Formats: sequence, structure tokens, C-alpha cells
Amino acid sequence: MSVELTVNGSELTLEDPERDLASALRASGHTEVKCGCDGGDCGASKVLIDGEAVMACGMAVADAAGTAVETVAAFGTQSDLHPIQQSFVDHFAVQCGFCIPGMVVEAKSLLADNPDPTEAEVREAIDDNVCRCTGYQKPVEAILDAADRVGESDTAVATDGGTAGGGVDE
Amino acid sequence: MSDEPRPDDAESRDGDADRQTDGNADRQTDGGTTSRPSGEDADVLDAVENEDPEALDRHPIEWDEPDNNRKDPDERLSVSSTPEKADDRKLVTGEAKYTADFAGQFPDLAHAAVRRSDVPHGRVADIDTSAAEAMDGVYAVLTPDSEEVPDGKYTSAGQSYPEPSPWDMHVLSEHVRYVGDPVAAVAAVDAETADAAVDAIEVEYEEYEPVFDPEAAFDEGAPRLFDDDEVENEIVGHDYERNRMASIGGSLGDVEAAFDREDTTVHESEWETVRQSHANLEPHTSLAYTDEDDRHVLVTSTQVPNHTRRQVAHLFDVPIRDIRVTKPAVGGGFGGKQAMVTEPIPMALSLATGRPVVYEAGRDEEFGAMRSRHPMQVRAKTAVTDDGDLEAVQITALSNTGAYGSHGMTVAGNVGSKPLPLYSKVPNIDFAADVVHTNTPQTGAMRGYGAPQGTLALEGHLDEVAHEMGFDPIEFRRDHYMESGDLDEIAGMMGGEGAERRIRSCGLDECVERGKEAIGWDDADQPDEDHLHRGLGMALSAQGTGVAGDELGAAQVMMNEDGSFHLHVGGVDIGTGADTAFIQIAAEVLGCAEEDVVVKAADTDVTPFDYGAYASSTTYISGMAVKKAAEDAKERILEWGSKLLEEPVDALDTAEGTVYSEATGEAVTLEDVGYEAAYGDEEREHILGKGTHCTEESPPPFAAQFADVTVDERTGEFEVNELVVAVDCGVAINPGMATGQIEGANHMSYEMAVCEGITFDDEGRSEVSTYEEYGFPTAAESPPVEAILVETHEPTGPFGAKSVAEVPTNPVPPALSNAVRDAVGVRVTDMPITAEEIRTKLDDGA
Repeated sequence: MSVELTVNGSELTLEDPERDLASALRASGHTEVKCGCDGGDCGASKVLIDGEAVMACGMAVADAAGTAVETVAAFGTQSDLHPIQQSFVDHFAVQCGFCIPGMVVEAKSLLADNPDPTEAEVREAIDDNVCRCTGYQKPVEAILDAADRVGESDTAVATDGGTAGGGVDE
Repeated sequence: MSDEPRPDDAESRDGDADRQTDGNADRQTDGGTTSRPSGEDADVLDAVENEDPEALDRHPIEWDEPDNNRKDPDERLSVSSTPEKADDRKLVTGEAKYTADFAGQFPDLAHAAVRRSDVPHGRVADIDTSAAEAMDGVYAVLTPDSEEVPDGKYTSAGQSYPEPSPWDMHVLSEHVRYVGDPVAAVAAVDAETADAAVDAIEVEYEEYEPVFDPEAAFDEGAPRLFDDDEVENEIVGHDYERNRMASIGGSLGDVEAAFDREDTTVHESEWETVRQSHANLEPHTSLAYTDEDDRHVLVTSTQVPNHTRRQVAHLFDVPIRDIRVTKPAVGGGFGGKQAMVTEPIPMALSLATGRPVVYEAGRDEEFGAMRSRHPMQVRAKTAVTDDGDLEAVQITALSNTGAYGSHGMTVAGNVGSKPLPLYSKVPNIDFAADVVHTNTPQTGAMRGYGAPQGTLALEGHLDEVAHEMGFDPIEFRRDHYMESGDLDEIAGMMGGEGAERRIRSCGLDECVERGKEAIGWDDADQPDEDHLHRGLGMALSAQGTGVAGDELGAAQVMMNEDGSFHLHVGGVDIGTGADTAFIQIAAEVLGCAEEDVVVKAADTDVTPFDYGAYASSTTYISGMAVKKAAEDAKERILEWGSKLLEEPVDALDTAEGTVYSEATGEAVTLEDVGYEAAYGDEEREHILGKGTHCTEESPPPFAAQFADVTVDERTGEFEVNELVVAVDCGVAINPGMATGQIEGANHMSYEMAVCEGITFDDEGRSEVSTYEEYGFPTAAESPPVEAILVETHEPTGPFGAKSVAEVPTNPVPPALSNAVRDAVGVRVTDMPITAEEIRTKLDDGA
């Protein structure tokens, strides 16, 4: 039985309904979806499924049938970053970067639901996103700043939200 | 992350069980006087006055620094600015490629899995692979006897050659020494099939008695992990009859005499640290294949491509030239990848199957079978006069290296050689460490590399002494700590004569002052509720910058005709931003924009040699090689600029993408120079610069850590309100990246204070196989960290830089213990600090 869904606006047919969605997406070329644990424990594989942030590794392909999946690759391009991505860059919130796709996806989901979160709400939102490099300080600052940037732009789709040089502590 | 304390090579490998005591000379200091002249010159005079003149020759105070190395902030072109981290755009869009992301490029790729020992100690009596081999999709099953599996002993430690770690491992083991020791490996069509095949292998063991406790492992008659013939390249102080893989130490002056003096009070305390996991988010992953030229290629998540190339060559008996190691994006290392951990498995399976093979460790393997921080028991003993003179410090450590000895001796050495030099004014110092095997997973390099364990003992102990004797804990430290101009004999006391180092930059005073101010040291309010008590604690920290006398980095700069540059460098960026720092250093020299420097790094076929990302060396060693390479290229650029501008070279410099003359105001662009050099009429030249760097220097960076805690005396529960850490890393090449390193390191340090680490059941099985079980502080559970950069100028480093990423990993456990002591008067010495422990101690006190 094959499973049909859309990923970043393109139709995708996956053949193994039992397989976890993260592995299936990676095998079909979506290597922006990361796997850092043996399932459901680190948040690196978060994608938006019909707008909601979900760890793709904790979900069977069959359960994604008919959904619209969005990965971090859909948010912005290297030359035209989404405001959340730009904020992560401007705040030096990225070190090894392995957690970042999941972190940015969670941030987008958070800001869609709560455009003006408190620091505590940001920390709660990324509480199941493991980051080993940053101690969470700069990602939290980046998401708080991104809230302002997304709020300033009319839509939350890819625009150049960069304010280069902003947000550096020192 | 390793710093070798440099027992000389002969001693590090012979069978002499005597502890090294070279450098055990009487110290020419004044006994820890507290008088401190003001001003740097006075400090230097004070230091020199009491010094052995030969030491002054060996380690002059003035460093022969090139003119271009020291720039005022407003003269700097790229250094100290905050251009984007060069790889960030591909990281935030998910386009960066880590090792596992290359799988799609290999249609015939096989996936590896490893069968690991089910028992903590024993010998594989029988291994039946027939069921696994019969499974559909299984390409190969390897056991220790298989032809493709090397017989030789090795260490996984990614260190210089010969490694200061014992060769005590096999790729696949018959004699198993921990639950998780690899005994067989499978290659199959996919990971699920490989895992199933591994489960289908039947292993029978002849079980031996295990020993898990490091003190018990030392006992007469304790189960023995190694026969003498099971180890080569033995380390100084080894005594395998007692499960001891190494024993090292050193001393200055005479601590025992100081302890016996009538005018001193002797204090003793004992501290315990946890088995911390690197828990790098990207698991250890390696992909091996043989290319069309019959050369072996490893794409691998490593901190040490060149060491890995050499180790694979030796292990598999293949010429070094026939191996290529390339490092793609790495998802965190922290020392766990300063080792050849996974590479031999896919290499052997690739040889056996003729296919490319990828091995991606599971998260359970990461916690149970990769590497971790050495858990230690550390004793501190001091002699202090009533006036507050610290006359002697003794540190004694027992380090549990687990089943194998990778990084065992060198980590243990750092327990003393990193924190003790903080107190360079103390006349009598003694340090000793024993490193013992147990039937637990092997440990390894981890950020801080022994310094966290020593820092907990030293900084917790000194704080307790200050409390007990009624001294201000900061002033008590300040009376004895290091300052610029000092000759530090302590860091070198295990390295023989001449191993001292001169301190030429020290920002401890400013670190302390700015940290105090940020945490509100002098005006902390108490909460209104009577049962809540707020306390402040502090601790100091020092590290090194590279391994003194045991580093090598190299780089090459190639100019394109459009005025841009390719920078090839062996230095290894594992997410730290090293590539960006290299770009900034090159741009500073070349006078070009950062985006005009394209980095290619850490590919052993293409990039110059480098020891790798460890020992806080990358910016300092590899970065200096980049600086030299850029300077070499710049000489040629100025020659060509001189031709075009018809002015002498001496009158020219580069900036903003031009060669310009200050005298005339004339300029040509680097593009003009590039085209002229490549396509000129009369002569042509490819402008190439090369640089290689090694040094005897290893200047310490410093940190002053502050912790603010509120403790509930009814329950012992505590909340960390804030962590502040002020760091002297010399000149920060990129302050945005540097503060990121500090915050991340401080979080990892905080974890050591509050997280139990990896624990084991009675049968030696890891009780941690998931992040959730590991239980480290999440985003919501992590206190805010304020990172403060204190700029000093280190003349031996590129544009004044020294290291940053390790020194803030050390000091949170003592600072938090000290803060709890300040809040409720109880002292927690064994990590982690828990509410239960505080409550128990409060009850005991009441």
C-alpha cells in the first residue's frame, strides 16, 4: 500500500506505510529532516504537518497520508531566509546546526500560535528540542527577536527579514 | 580537547611504575606574599626579581611579536567584528550535509550494525553467525577471526603519534570488558536488516567476575582486566595486576613540610564527579568506500581527520597515501569525536563486501558504548596560615577510565595541570593521579579534559577554607592567583626541566570585577519568605590553548584572478565556527572582504596537515597557520601591486579589497592584481601563500564564574537564578561566536552540577539509553547565562587570541556548590547537587 502526501508543496508517494516518517523523508531526499535519537526524544526531526510541529520520527508514514508536510527547506532559501532563520543567523544561535531544522520548525509553529511569546513560553516550546552546543540562550533570543520580525512583516512566509548585525550580545 | 601533560615520550611508554617527579625543584618564590605592586610593570618586576635567570632566558617576558599582530580595536579590519558564521545559511535551511546525508549518493550502500557484549567481563567462547548470514539482505557478518578484521591492538584516542594512550583495544573483541564491547559487525541492505541480523547472532561467553567500583578495582585480588601481554604502548605508572593503566604526578617545593608547620591549618576535602555524556546530537557516523583508484575513502564525523587517517592506515596495514578522510558538517563533538570510534567498522565491512558501508551509532550506543567523561574522586588538601597565606596545595585524583585507556593518562594529568596554575603564587604544590580500569564503558576526551574534575576540588575546597577561616572567598583567591609576567612552573611540573611557561596575558582581575558586578555580588537581597535563602558563589577556571610543544597546523591561501581567495586549512570546524574565524584572520591580513575567502577544510587529500580540533587549539594553532599563509600570499600581492602602482613595496598595504599607497593615495584593486598576476604580458605567477605553525607556548585563558541560587530550606530544592561567567580569551576573533561558545560550555558545566550522568545497574548495564533517561537540563530547565568577554592581548596568538571553548566548561559545579554553601551553610561535594542531598545535610546539621 502506498501513501500519498505533499511535502513542501510537491506530491510524494511513499511505499512503506509502517516506516517512520523521518526515515522515509530522508530516504526520499529530504535530508534537512535530522535524526538525533532512536525515536521521539530529541526534536531534530520536527516538521510541520498541516501546520503543527511534529517529530517525524515518532510517526508512521501511514499516519501522514493526505497531509501537507512542510520541512525547514520550504521556509526560505540561503539568499532569502525566512525571518526566523535570519534571526538565528544574526544571533549566532547556530553552532553545529544539527538541531536547527527542528528548532526553526518549532519556532515557526510557536509564533503562528503565539505571535508575542514570553521567554518562558519560548523555552517551554523548545523544551523537547535537544541542543548540545548553545545552552539554549541564543536560540531563545533568536526566537524572541524573530517574533518581532515576523510581527513587523505582513506575512510569515519567506521574506528577507534580516537586520544584519543585530542581536549580537557583545 | 586533549592536553598532554608531556611526560617525555620514553617515559610515557616504558614500564617504569615510578611517578614522574621531574621538575621537582624548589620554587624561587617568596612564600606567597600578598603584597601586590600596582600596574603591569610593577607586577613584572616583582615576578622577575625572584626568578631563576635561566628560566628568564628560556621564557622571556617580552615576546617577539610581529608588528602586525597587535592592533587597536579601531584598526582591525575583520578581527573582533561579527560577520555571519560562514556555514549558517546552509545550516538554517537544512542544506548542510552531515555524514549520513551522503547516503543517497551511493545506490549500493550497505548499512552496518554492531553486536555488542551482553556481559561486563568475559571471553567469547562461541559465536554462531549462521542465522544472521542466512537472512535476506545481509551482505557480511564479521567476527574477530574474520580476515578483514585487523588483529592489531590500538587506541581509539585521536592524539599525536605515538599516542600517549595505551594500545589496548581490538576492532572486535574476544576478551570483552564491558557491556557494549563490540564482538561482531554486520553489513546489510538497510539498517533494520542489519539490526535484525545482529540480534540473530548467538554468542556464548565464558564469564569472568567483573569489577565496577574504581576503588575496589585497586584491591588485592580484584578481578584483573588486562594481562600484561594484552597491552602495547603502555603508559607510565601502569600496573595491570592492580588494574592501573597509569599513574602520574609532579610537585614543587615540599607540601608535607608545609602541612607539618605549626603556623598552618591543614584542610582536607574530597569531591566526586559524574560520568557525563557528550550526547552529541549527531551520532558517531562513518561512511567507508573504495574509490575508482583503489583508494579508501572515509567520510566521517570526526574532530581528527589526520590522526584518523594514520590510525586507519596502521590498523589495516594500508599506506597513508591510500586513505582519504574527509570531514563534512559535524553535529557536535565535544571531545567524543577526538577518537577513531566508529571508522574501523565500516572500513572492515566495506573491504568484506566491496560496497560502500555506513555505520551510524544508535542513541543507546552513544550512551552505552561510545565515550564519556572520566568520573573521578578528587581529594584536596591545603595548608593555610591564620593570615590567609596559602602555603601548600595538594590534589590527588582517582580516575575511572572504564574498560580501556584512551585519553586516560592525559585527562588525569589535566586534573592538576590546568586548575593548579591559577594559584601560581603558592610555593608548595603536589599533584598525583591514578587511573584505574573498571568493567564499564570506556571514557575519553571531553571538553575541559580533566580540568572540570580538578576545578571542582580546588575551587570548592578553597571556598570552604575561606568560609571556615573567615576570609572573603574572592580576596583569599586574589592574594594567590596568577598575573601577567608570572613564570608558571605548575603547568609544566610533569614535563621536566624547561616545561614552565611565561604568562603574558592574564585578565583575572577584570574577569572577577566584571563578574561580581554582573551578578550583584555586593548587594544580593534575601527573599521575603523565611524558608528561602539566596546565596552567591564563585569559582575561577583556567585552561590551555593547544598542547604545549605538541601541535601542528597548516594552511594554504590561493588567489583567484578576481581578487578572491581559496583558503585550504587542516583545522577542523565541528560547529564551533572555526572556519569563520579562519576567514576573518585571512581577511584581516589580506585586506579583503570575508565573503572573498572561500574555505576548504579538513579533507586529507586536499588540505594541509593538522592535528585536529582538540585541546582548545584550533584558533590559536590552525588560526596562526592561516595568518602565516595569508601573510605569505600578501607579500606576493604587494610585489604585484608595487609593479602596477610603480611604488616600493614598503609603501604599500592592503585594505578594502585594494592595494594602496598611504603616501600617494593611489590604489589598485585585488582584482587588478589577480588578473595581472595570472595574465600579465611579461611574467605570470599563481599567488600562493603557505603557513605552518607549531609552538612551545600554551597560554591559559581564564574565567571567573558566578552562580546565584535560592534554596528552600524545607525541601532542599533550589533554583539557579542566574549564571554569570566572565572570560579572558585574549582578543575574540568573532565576539558573537565566542559568546556562543561560552554560553554552551557553561551549560555543559551546569549539567555536571545537576545531572547524574550515565549510571549502571548491578550487572554493569547502562541505565541510560535515551536523552530522556539521561535527564540533562532542557531549555525550560536551564538558567540564564550571561557571558562577558574580557579582552586581553596574547602576543603569541593570532591577533592576540587564545582559546575560549573549554575554559567555561569547568567552573559551574564548584560555583554552584559554593553558592549553596553561602545560602544554607551546607557543603555538597559529590556531584550532582540534588535537593535530597541538601536536605539530608541540612537535617544532619540541625
